[in-house]
Amino acid sequence: MAPFLNLVARLLLVALGYYIGASVGFVLTFPQLTPSVLWPPNAVLTTALLLTSPRRWWMYLLAALPAHLAIELPLLPPALVLGLFVTNCSEAVLGAGLVHWLSDQPGRFDTLRRTAVFVACAGVAGPFLSTFPDAALVTALRGEPFWSVWSTRFPSNVLAELTITPTLATIALASQSRLRGVSLRRLGEAALLVCGLLVVGIMAFGGPPGGSVGRLWLLHTPFALLLPFLLWAAVRFGPGGTSLCLLTTVMLAIDAGMREVGMFATLPHREDGVLALQVFLTVLSIPLLCMSSLMEERRQTSQTLEQRLGFEAMLARLSNAFVHLPSSEMDRAFEAWLKRIGEELRLDCLALLEFAPGGEEVVVRWWSAIAPDTSPQTFRPVDFPWAVARLHRQEAVTFSDPDDLPRSADRERAFLRRHGVRSGAIVPLEAGGRVLGGLAVVTLTDALAWQDHLEGRLSLVGEVFANALARRESEDALRVSEGMKSAILAALGSGVAVLDREGTIIAVNESWTKHAEEADTTSASRAGMGDNYLAAWRQASADAASGREALAGIHAVLDRRREAFALAYPCSGSLTGRWFELSAVPLHRAAGGAVIASREITDWKRAELEAQRSREELAHFTRVSAMGALAASLAHELNQPLTGILSNAQAARRFLQVVPPDLAELHAILNDIVEDDKRAGEVIERLRELLRKGDFHALPLDLNGLVRDVARLLNSDALIRNAQIQLVFTGRPPTVIGDRIQLQQVMLNLLVNAMDAMAECTQERRVVTVETATSDDGFGRVCVRDAGVGIVPGMLDRIFEPFYTTKPQGMGMGLSISRSIVEAHGGRIWALNNPDGGSTFGFTVPLAGVNVS
Amino acid sequence: VSHERRRVILVDDDPSVRRGLERLLRSADYVVESFPSVQAMLAGADLTGASCLVLDVRMPGPSGLDLQTALAQEGDDVPIIFITGHGDVQMAVRAMKAGAVDFLSKPFDAEELFRALDQAMARARLSRMSRGDAS
Repeated sequence: MAPFLNLVARLLLVALGYYIGASVGFVLTFPQLTPSVLWPPNAVLTTALLLTSPRRWWMYLLAALPAHLAIELPLLPPALVLGLFVTNCSEAVLGAGLVHWLSDQPGRFDTLRRTAVFVACAGVAGPFLSTFPDAALVTALRGEPFWSVWSTRFPSNVLAELTITPTLATIALASQSRLRGVSLRRLGEAALLVCGLLVVGIMAFGGPPGGSVGRLWLLHTPFALLLPFLLWAAVRFGPGGTSLCLLTTVMLAIDAGMREVGMFATLPHREDGVLALQVFLTVLSIPLLCMSSLMEERRQTSQTLEQRLGFEAMLARLSNAFVHLPSSEMDRAFEAWLKRIGEELRLDCLALLEFAPGGEEVVVRWWSAIAPDTSPQTFRPVDFPWAVARLHRQEAVTFSDPDDLPRSADRERAFLRRHGVRSGAIVPLEAGGRVLGGLAVVTLTDALAWQDHLEGRLSLVGEVFANALARRESEDALRVSEGMKSAILAALGSGVAVLDREGTIIAVNESWTKHAEEADTTSASRAGMGDNYLAAWRQASADAASGREALAGIHAVLDRRREAFALAYPCSGSLTGRWFELSAVPLHRAAGGAVIASREITDWKRAELEAQRSREELAHFTRVSAMGALAASLAHELNQPLTGILSNAQAARRFLQVVPPDLAELHAILNDIVEDDKRAGEVIERLRELLRKGDFHALPLDLNGLVRDVARLLNSDALIRNAQIQLVFTGRPPTVIGDRIQLQQVMLNLLVNAMDAMAECTQERRVVTVETATSDDGFGRVCVRDAGVGIVPGMLDRIFEPFYTTKPQGMGMGLSISRSIVEAHGGRIWALNNPDGGSTFGFTVPLAGVNVS
Repeated sequence: VSHERRRVILVDDDPSVRRGLERLLRSADYVVESFPSVQAMLAGADLTGASCLVLDVRMPGPSGLDLQTALAQEGDDVPIIFITGHGDVQMAVRAMKAGAVDFLSKPFDAEELFRALDQAMARARLSRMSRGDAS
């Protein structure tokens, strides 16, 4: 209903204007002259038609008819009245039609082109053409001379069009938009101008009624004094102000003319005076109007330029403000900048819509020129389904009236109406292909004529906001993940430190600090934030070997030569007796560095040492047991050299009784005694070696030699058992890394087992074959093959388990210990049945010089 | 006493023991032939006329006891002295029952060996006399 009422109001306004205009027109006649000096109704009509679409002209013309009839019927014959209405209308229609046809903005005078079109079409052509029928009508009905009528009515109409139409149009347009930002200074200037104009006008045209000011005036052409004021208006107040001043001048002149005072009183022919006044004012008004529109155009151009510069400067400040803004301060900044932008762009209301992560909420921050409270509001996306969907499609929305929105935007329309929104635009905030929200501008008091540059500016501002939102989102996400990481780090029992490229500690967790507090200066664990970890290791030289290893390893990791380094080391100083494990990995970032993790492994180490000790004790025990079993054969092994020694010695004693003694013989005897003694010593030595309780010493050793020693030790045993031990060494002798005693024990076990297995065999079959070889995969291999009873099928897996035994006196520890020894060496042990009877036991030990993890 | 009568055959796998015993026996005017194994002895020695065999029990190949059994089966009653580094009572009993002169555990004193050899010589003499060998 509102548009209809609006239209009716306008029609009434036009009718009223026409009525008043005609009344004034009738008044503004010089005595004894019928035509009006200034005929405003036509100008009123022209203004109305200029400002409306041609489709609605008929309404305005019809609305003017009653006013026309009301004012003229009492004075003139009806036929003339109707005829004059037609000619009045024809002037307005002709003039406005031409302007509509030629001008891009009829009713506006802010460019030279628009003003020129108006002057030519509505100001001159319209009145020129319409005055012919007008004059013809008057001539026909009133009998007045045609040219006389024409020549009085034409300038009267032209003057009215030129002075009244711009005034009315400017007022009409100004009334539609708010007069905002009009400064007091400008109002004062306008008032000064009007006062000056009135004073000078009154003086120029004859002064106040009955006064004699004019006579006091010495100049012969007082009109000239009006020019500064009119120029002032043209330069400073645009076409609207200029035409208003012109109108004022015209009115003053006509008033003087009507009262026959001032200059008009001196004119011999009043008609000439009127015409001269009209021509003078017309000629004056055309360049003034043109000049004022030129000035207006220039002002608008510079204003636009200034605005654009201002906007760009603001945009630069805006993006500067957000570039390094911490995300915690962004909310406040958003609000502050909405206000700034709104004021800069002279907007009614500006709103920033933010789609909260998760898509559950739309947070709206806003600024309004008229609402004092602009606290943020939260909506759900379903409150604006259509707009949210459009934004998500990265489409802007512009509407000059909520009614223009499509049917599917019911909720949006209802919301906008409820808040009195007249028009608006919203652009999506997009960053990295994701829509984060929207930036909206709406007008509350007036339908904004949407200009492309406003939407463009909105988009530019939106871009800054979108980037800020995106950054805040990623910073928030980063903070969450950082928080999680620090929580994990803090909760870790291991001490964690981050080193920079030079080895300086740049971050530690709580556990690290705790360890550092426990340590004294002799330990590298002492190093805390800001200390150089490498230097700490260099100083902590208590354990030189592990210190060197740690330094080399950390260096390698810092230099990216190693992807990981780990070291278990015993502590010194206040932490003596405690073990720590250090691990280092490179920090994968441009600046380099490493992450060090340190954890205490004392308990673990202690358990390991305990286990090792138990294993060694058990191994020793089984070695002693094995020796017990071998006692008889060992006795034999020793008895042989002892027998040789005794025999030789006694023989020598007897040879010495012979005179002269055979010295050569004695010499040979002594040699044999020495050899036998050595032999006995070696047996004892081997025995003692096996019985020794030793720590684990891994050294390079000749596997063949080791096998030979053990076989020799078992020589007597084999003899007693009527068994043979054959050694088959082929290829390169394997040099392995291992503990001699432990590997001898394994060998002893396997050989004794092999001979035990052959106890029931015929003598010919009692052969144990020992083969050694070097395998390609970096191991030395030993295989012990017997021709015995073999292993019961299904027990192959179990024979290495502790307490598994087939012997009445056996403990079942031999193979189990052998396995633990071999595996401690990094090798493996196995058993299998030979196809031709008996079984083969084999084991491997890593070769020296080959890296085996 | 002729040399022939004092001929001793020694079998022991250990060269050092062999050399020591050889010297000891030579010092007591025995003639000694020594061999590292039973097979070598059987291949190289003339048992006839040997006054005594000094045998190690455990040797690679046939043992001294095996040889004793084999000789008994042949009817050869040459006296045998066993020497062993790893003897037990059963082994000694078995050897003595089978007619061994003595069973000596290594290491043994020279006098023990000479006593056993004297017995062996006596037994050999008796044996020769009983066979009517009056030489």
